[in-house]
Amino acid sequence: MRDCESIRQSIGRWLDGELEAPESESVRAHLASCAECGKAQQQLESIQQMLKKTLLAEAQQIEFLPFWRGVQLRIAQRTPWHEQALDWVRATFTLSRAAWLVPASIALILAILSLESYVPGWREGRNSFASVESIDAYGRNVALLRENESKTTVIWLYEDQEGENETADEPAKSAPAF
Amino acid sequence: MASFQELVSRYHQKVYMVILGLLHNRDDALEVAQETFFRAYRKIGSFEGGSSFYTWIYRIAVNLAIDAQRRQKRNPLDFRETMDGVLEAQEETARDPFADVHDRELRENLIRAINELTPEHKAVIVLRTIEGLSYKDIGDILGCSEGTVMSRLHYARKKLQDKLSAFL
Repeated sequence: MRDCESIRQSIGRWLDGELEAPESESVRAHLASCAECGKAQQQLESIQQMLKKTLLAEAQQIEFLPFWRGVQLRIAQRTPWHEQALDWVRATFTLSRAAWLVPASIALILAILSLESYVPGWREGRNSFASVESIDAYGRNVALLRENESKTTVIWLYEDQEGENETADEPAKSAPAF
Repeated sequence: MASFQELVSRYHQKVYMVILGLLHNRDDALEVAQETFFRAYRKIGSFEGGSSFYTWIYRIAVNLAIDAQRRQKRNPLDFRETMDGVLEAQEETARDPFADVHDRELRENLIRAINELTPEHKAVIVLRTIEGLSYKDIGDILGCSEGTVMSRLHYARKKLQDKLSAFL
């Protein structure tokens, strides 16, 4: 049989449910039979109840929305702009939203590619006039002119006079050859 | 942000209770509670799923509250005085007026007795009382062993019991 002093050392842990089963049982049996230790147990319970009641009554006065606004204000005021931007990106491009990004991108690319067949010459503009320049195998320049309205394509081959002057003694041909 | 708001709505009162239990001043407690959630927002990336969210948030709250307590300049009696109004309003339908007087006396002395404890002893008693947390969880929050939690709790309860025995 444990003495009262030893039991009182354990009452707190017994109330907290932190004792092993045999010890818990011995404390319970002692409390049932000892008025003094039973009173000590009640005192501890009263203290806990009063503290919880007091704090709970206070906490219930705290409304969520004003509290949340205070938290938001701190976040807005004390987060650097680049972190706020990152937060926005994280919030906006969540995994579920990113899933839509792939088909949306494919659709956009296909739309751009097929635009040519629906709107001929959209890439060249309304007065569509495009030219491509390059140097062919014989060192001549090639100009490609396309006119959408008349649907005519002109290929223009000519030699670079400045280039000729640098490399050859002969005078360059001035007129382009069609 | 919406999920964070949900977390705040779930825990703000409990976090506030813990901090108020340590600081005994409404304004300070409110400020520290909001700061707790701000820090949690900033550090949410470092939160490891290994521990529970409440253990993590209470750890931030207790650390901030203990720091604040060391810097606290305001009058802690502010808490006790305004507290009475709250409880009176709650107990309007109250029972025996003598019981009310007794309760008020007990409450005032309880707050005074708790305020005389060290921050570490206050923390264990408040965490255990409010959440009924296990010694292991309290140890995780305060960064100490279960044995330390047990001995601090025993000491704190003994102190409170000695000071309040006349009212119990």
